[in-house]
Amino acid sequence: MEFNIVSKFDDASGVWQVGVEGEIDIYNSKEFKKELSVLLEERSADVHINCEKLEYIDSTGLGALVGVLKILKQDGKNLHLRNLRNSILKLIKITDLDKVFVIDEVR
Amino acid sequence: MSMGRIVQEQKKETIELSLPVNPAYVSSARLTASSIANRMGFDTEGAEDIKSAVSEACAYLINNKAQSGVANFKILFMIYERKLEIEIVCEKGSGLGEEEEDDYCEKMILALMDAAELTDNDDGLRIFMSKLQ
Repeated sequence: MEFNIVSKFDDASGVWQVGVEGEIDIYNSKEFKKELSVLLEERSADVHINCEKLEYIDSTGLGALVGVLKILKQDGKNLHLRNLRNSILKLIKITDLDKVFVIDEVR
Repeated sequence: MSMGRIVQEQKKETIELSLPVNPAYVSSARLTASSIANRMGFDTEGAEDIKSAVSEACAYLINNKAQSGVANFKILFMIYERKLEIEIVCEKGSGLGEEEEDDYCEKMILALMDAAELTDNDDGLRIFMSKLQ
């Protein structure tokens, strides 16, 4: 299964609004990280990811998010995740990444 | 005084999957694991745990065996009345496999499954896990 990213810079709030759809795993996690990194090369800003349509993410995908967060932190920015599935939130908690990412609303 | 009786569950069925050491097919392992777990009657959370654990185990194996020259690895799903055992095995290979440190993979497998064991030696890599319904 593939993934799809839709991104838009929100001028009002000054953040990247990103929608992720599909599955992120060892096959496409590098591509996922690359696509998010390209946004930050364009403009450094907080990244808000809507995970409503994210069906699955594995540890390599979470590692990609950590990689993106490291880039964000260099500029004092942050990564927000919202509308996570319970199954994905569980994986984030197992890896203690809930202490690292900002988790907004959960569905 | 009553004597307890230890009853060992009998294995009902075994499903064997052979996959290339290639990240492209880890999703196939997930689909198979999910299908078997649902068929066995695991609840949603249990089936998701099994799916994720299998995916993590495959990713761990692929990260460690990609350069070793081994073409395929096997996943065995052993179905019991109330338990699913999963064994993922890969030969050692002749090339120099890159040993990648992966803290998340092992941590996830241990948290998601009721039992898990990983061995990597001259006989190859073996990941064993089980989950009770």
